[in-house]
Amino acid sequence: MRQNAPVIERTRTSGQSIEINKVLKNTYLLLSATFLFSAAMATVSTYLYMPPMTYLICIGLSFAIIWFVLPRTANSGSGVLVVFAITGLMGFGIGPLLNQYLAMSNGSQIVGTALGGTGVIFFALSGYALMTKKDFSFMGGFLLVGLMIAIVASLANIFLHISGLSLAISSVVIMIMSGFILYDTSQMIHKPESANYILMTVSLFLNIFNIFISLLHILGFSSDD
Amino acid sequence: MDWMKIGSAVLLIMMLFMVYPRVKHELKHGKKGSQKEWIGGLALLGGVAVFVWLLAKSM
Repeated sequence: MRQNAPVIERTRTSGQSIEINKVLKNTYLLLSATFLFSAAMATVSTYLYMPPMTYLICIGLSFAIIWFVLPRTANSGSGVLVVFAITGLMGFGIGPLLNQYLAMSNGSQIVGTALGGTGVIFFALSGYALMTKKDFSFMGGFLLVGLMIAIVASLANIFLHISGLSLAISSVVIMIMSGFILYDTSQMIHKPESANYILMTVSLFLNIFNIFISLLHILGFSSDD
Repeated sequence: MDWMKIGSAVLLIMMLFMVYPRVKHELKHGKKGSQKEWIGGLALLGGVAVFVWLLAKSM
């Protein structure tokens, strides 16, 4: 009996490791594909000079899909199509926002820096969580409370129009989404059996998307134009 | 423009309603971190803050 114990333990560990690798591989593959698709949709929207309302409509539609359609399809093959619909809509939605920044004298530099900066933040944090295999699940409550505070502050600022507050919200959102990158990556490592790769892809996409939008806002504000 | 404001407000209120149950659950059943874990996590977020500040300075 005693001799069998390590074998069982080793088998379980090896099975879990295969499960972790599968979730990680599927998530990062789908994430890369959805990013390419989202970027293509953003390019189309930029060239078409879509009106500002497009942003709100696309984000509203994609959140409706996330809340009402994604939970029902996350465990089936059609979930992949739903992920493409969400990310495509979000990409198409930021077209008017990108046009607004590109119209500035150093607009392409702002957009390029925001894109590069977002990439550096994502790869550094996700890479750190993957390499160290640390469990960041303890941050969940703190990050969610922070997210709620950021939403309430954003709601207030729609009517208050305080540029300092808007900048503070963007900075806080970058911090919260960076924390969520650590949290989500560690969830894939420590709870691979409950981490659905479709839900993980959407979650990581939203983190990166929010960091990009907030970084764009901060860089646009600090630019001279 | 007013429609944009109303639409944004509706979307944010819906987000609050969707996030609240998860916040409640996480605060009740979520894992509590040690002081060492918190210092490590917050140091990483501090690093991100410094990086963003440097990017903003470079513009």
